[in-house]
Amino acid sequence: MEQDAQLVQQCLQGDGSAWEELVRRHSRRIFNICYRFTGNGTEAEDLSQEVFLRVYRTIGSYRSAHGGFATWMTSVTRNLLIDHYRRTKRDRITDSLDDAMPVVENKESSGRRPDEQVLLGELSSQVQTALTKLSPELREAVILRDLQQLEYNEIQQVLSVPEGTVKSRINRGRIELARILQQMGVRPS
Amino acid sequence: MTWTCEHTEARLSDYLDGVLSVAEQTAFDAHVNSCQRCTPLVASVSHLLSGLHSIEQIETPPRLVYSILDKTLGPRESGWRAILGWVRSVASIRFAYGALSFAATLVIFATASGFNWRHPKVADLQPANIYRNADRQAHLVYARGTKFVNDLRVVSEIQSRMREESEIPTAPESTVPESSPEKHPGRSDGSKPAAPKQQNRANDITRQIELLAEQMPILADRLNCLPIARRLP
Repeated sequence: MEQDAQLVQQCLQGDGSAWEELVRRHSRRIFNICYRFTGNGTEAEDLSQEVFLRVYRTIGSYRSAHGGFATWMTSVTRNLLIDHYRRTKRDRITDSLDDAMPVVENKESSGRRPDEQVLLGELSSQVQTALTKLSPELREAVILRDLQQLEYNEIQQVLSVPEGTVKSRINRGRIELARILQQMGVRPS
Repeated sequence: MTWTCEHTEARLSDYLDGVLSVAEQTAFDAHVNSCQRCTPLVASVSHLLSGLHSIEQIETPPRLVYSILDKTLGPRESGWRAILGWVRSVASIRFAYGALSFAATLVIFATASGFNWRHPKVADLQPANIYRNADRQAHLVYARGTKFVNDLRVVSEIQSRMREESEIPTAPESTVPESSPEKHPGRSDGSKPAAPKQQNRANDITRQIELLAEQMPILADRLNCLPIARRLP
């Protein structure tokens, strides 16, 4: 976190390599949030670029006193995702993922057996399908809490809603997601 | 306090996070254990959570970082620096293995289709030439293989003949006294003739070695040194 703040300072002084370092440190996390939210690799890539463009333009408005740089970036990402969701709502005829670009799941899983990796990959795609059927409010809450492992107070900052609302959305999101997965035929083992 | 299904739903995440009070925890457990609706709900959400936590991060497309840097900092360096940057962006063990196996496959196919690596020509890469060269290579390999097998067969035959020759029992010289040679019609040199059976066998071997020598002139010199093949050219 401190390193992020230092890199931001260097960026503000015009240091290009500091910006490059920030991009390298956060691109994977931002891309993952975008992918989990949209369920589409191409859209996730475009949105990630948009996020970094916006961060680059507005990095001067970041205040470390208000929270970590990662939380601030997540907040920018979330706003862009919601904008994108609203913008594309009319165009979205179906929630089908048929046109989704296949995305390479992480294979550098530490010490996992191949059969475990296959099961994990299957679960990942099932969860991804189920996530896109959730409402955006519940989806973002579940993604931030259970896939990005953010703390409640960080999610509260990102979503700009009271902690009670955050907890309620996460709770409802999990229950709803479990129901969708059950309807898809995924049973608890 | 009476714990209901609505309570279970509302406090499920608190239960899974382990932040319920002791009294709430007891009421929760008591209800869930006796409720047919809540038991599968708690099991499925608990299963979902463990699944969500085990899902790993997705790999970022290799070009993403460079696209972002291009859009923010402007186009990057040109020339070898750009190439180096691209290589660094895709550098991974998996990429290296992929590239290596692709290159090896290309080399194998090119060699098999008769591509001359010492004097490469663009014409060699034309489909018609590739087909012709591949066909020629295949026939050459087949002919070489056939010749090799035939050579092996000949050598093996020679060896077996020589072994048989050395194993033919000959009468010890001491059994025939020098001083009293037997008389044989038509023989004036006093030499001892072979038995008819042995003679036939020797003639047979000689004929066969002559045939072999005709087929393989290179063996003729070696075979000439055998006492049985003195008549070879």
